[in-house]
Amino acid sequence: MVSEERSGRADGVLEQRILDAALTMIARWGVAKTTVADVAKEARCGRATVYRRFPGGKDELFAVLGRREVDRFFAATVAQIDAATDLEDALVAAVTSTSRVAADHDALRFVLRHEPEVVLPYLGFAALDRLFAVAAASVGPHLARFVGLEAGPWAAEWVGRMVLSYLFNPAPGVDLADPNDARALVHRFLVPALAPATRPVAETGTQTHTPPTLVPALQGS
Amino acid sequence: MGDDDPRSRILAATVGCIGRAGLGKTTMDDAARAAGLSRATVYRHFPGGRDQLISETITWEVGRFFARLGRHVDGAPDFATRLERGLAFAHRAVAEHDVLQKVVDTEPDRLLPQLTLTGPLVLAVLRGYFEPLLEDEPLVDGLSAEAAADWLARNVLSFIVAAGGWDLTDPAEVRRLVRTQLLTGVLRAAPSAPDA
Repeated sequence: MVSEERSGRADGVLEQRILDAALTMIARWGVAKTTVADVAKEARCGRATVYRRFPGGKDELFAVLGRREVDRFFAATVAQIDAATDLEDALVAAVTSTSRVAADHDALRFVLRHEPEVVLPYLGFAALDRLFAVAAASVGPHLARFVGLEAGPWAAEWVGRMVLSYLFNPAPGVDLADPNDARALVHRFLVPALAPATRPVAETGTQTHTPPTLVPALQGS
Repeated sequence: MGDDDPRSRILAATVGCIGRAGLGKTTMDDAARAAGLSRATVYRHFPGGRDQLISETITWEVGRFFARLGRHVDGAPDFATRLERGLAFAHRAVAEHDVLQKVVDTEPDRLLPQLTLTGPLVLAVLRGYFEPLLEDEPLVDGLSAEAAADWLARNVLSFIVAAGGWDLTDPAEVRRLVRTQLLTGVLRAAPSAPDA
């Protein structure tokens, strides 16, 4: 493991610089064409230095980078959720923050467009179950403040499902990175189901929420 | 098209080949041999060669999956029950599809980009299936059948690909998922759960 070889802050800084360089190179050339030499040059260090930090070479470097980006991504999402004051705002924050990553992350965008075979194996079937489990474990506790401990993990999973759905099958006119679009979806479909006071409609008899103005694609034309 | 026309025979034979040799190694010759047809016949139906054959085989198998799904939920007494049966069946069918599971395990880098291409088609099929059914249901105020169909189609497709934290083999859990989560923002009067 790389972390066991880290000794001190300077090494940590260098490691981050190497990972940043790899991210830059992926955004520019993709995963397949990026070499350890490219990364070393971009990070302004020697190839030997890269191999000392990442003895497994390119594979290890990219695996560590993938984990770092996933961790950063969940940390950013959690920070947004923690700043929210009610369930709807928390879910909107989770949806927009998650969607923005796909839109703003240059390396991820390059790979999704040009090398989908690199990243898609992490987004299907058993691998997707693992990703949902990570989302549930890392984001779920922060949503639990609004939906209760039991529903927190599911709320995080549900957000992940919807963001991935719109990422791979975009709806014309809907951009979940836009707070208005995210709120329309969240208010209409997620809040009524996740709000702790909500019982199945058949038991309460009435809907207690008022739908907002929905974007056209969600409302239907 | 029946199962006996040459095209369907080739596609069915190719599914078998993929199960044995994988997506990457299945050739036009393999498909011809397995279908009991000549190479020329296979090329006549799939002039684009191997890539076309593989990609159309995946689309065909996905189509067959949804045809079975549709037959399985026919006769459900209400919309919620239809959705419950559909989710449970879809999950089981994916888990028990040997060829799919083998390819997912061994060649995810080849399969998933292909499946992603069929995503919009599958979503459109599900949406088109749900919309007329939802027109007869009491929808939450201001919600169109089209928007409700899109929402449910996205959820169903998502659950077909991954069950996440839900145990879709447990009917009680499926019922809870459908009636207290997926349909809560959709139906004005969600049907009460039948006795467990």
